[in-house]
Amino acid sequence: MYSLCGQGVIMALPTVFGVDPKILHGHFVTMVHQQQLRFSTRGRGTFDISQQVDEVIHNSGIKQGICQIFVHHTSASLILCENADPAVRTDLETFMKKIVPDGDSMFQHTDEGPDDMPAHIRTVLTQSSLSIPVDGGRDTLGTWQGIYLWEHRTHPHQRKITVTVMGE
Amino acid sequence: MVYQDTLQLSDHGKGAYEITDLVADFIKESSIRIGTCQLFIHSSSASLLIGDIADDATKNETAAFMAQLAPSSDNVDNKINDSMDAIPEDMRYALAQASLSIPVSNGKPAIGVWQGIFLWERSTDAEERKLTITVVGE
Repeated sequence: MYSLCGQGVIMALPTVFGVDPKILHGHFVTMVHQQQLRFSTRGRGTFDISQQVDEVIHNSGIKQGICQIFVHHTSASLILCENADPAVRTDLETFMKKIVPDGDSMFQHTDEGPDDMPAHIRTVLTQSSLSIPVDGGRDTLGTWQGIYLWEHRTHPHQRKITVTVMGE
Repeated sequence: MVYQDTLQLSDHGKGAYEITDLVADFIKESSIRIGTCQLFIHSSSASLLIGDIADDATKNETAAFMAQLAPSSDNVDNKINDSMDAIPEDMRYALAQASLSIPVSNGKPAIGVWQGIFLWERSTDAEERKLTITVVGE
C-alpha cells in the first residue's frame, strides 16, 4: 500500500497489494513510434494540429492501433472540437473567459500576470492528453472533429507535444 | 509488452497528492522503454489530474475554483430537491478525469518540467483508493 501525506509527498514505500504485477500477453508484438512536435503559438487561442498528428501516424507505418497525443505544459491543453465553423472555438474561448475570469481576486498565483492561474485551471478543465484510434494508417477522426492545441496564456509561447503511435 | 498492476493508495482526505514518483518507479519496474502509460482511478470521488508543480498555490486555487464552480451541498437549498446533495461531487467528477495517459520515453514518464501527476481526493475523510497503472510499449 502507498501512503499519501497531506503535503503531497509519498510517505511510505509500497507493500504488495493483491498479486504481483503481471506482464500480460508476453507474446504481444506491437510497434511503437514516438515523435515530438513543436509549435509556436501566437498567444491565447486554438490551433488546429490534426494534419501534423496525421503525418506522424503516416510516418509510423502503423496501420491499426492507437495514437496518443500529449502536451508537456500546464498552461496549454488539447481538445477535440468541431472544425467546420470557427465561431465554435470563439464561443469556447468566451465561455472559458466567463467561468475562469482573468485577474479574479480569488487567485494568488499571479506572478506571471492575470492570465497565469486561469491558464492552469483551463488546462485542468480540458485535456493534457488525447487518445484516438488509428485505422488504415490514418487517424479515424469524425468528419467534423479536429485536434486543437489550446494556448491559454495571452502571450506567444513555444509548446512541445509528444505523439506516440502504437499498433501493428 | 503490457505491464499492469493495481495499487492501493491511502490518503488523508480532501486534497491533491502528488504521485509522479510512484508512476516513474512503476514505469522503471516495467522495463518498457518506449510507449504509453495509462492511469485509472477506481472511484467517483477521487480523480487524476496533471497540474503545475512550480507553486503550491496552484493546486489549492484549482481546488478553490472547483469548489466555487460546483459549490458544496451546504450552500444548496436542499428543500428544492434532496438529491442535490450528490450533484456537486458528481459535477466535479465530470469536470476532472478518471484516467490519464502519458507518453513513456527512455523508460521514464515523458512529462514537462512543471507537470506533476496528482490524485485529487474530494472526500473529507481519509480514503483508500485503487489505482490501476498500465504501461504498454517495448
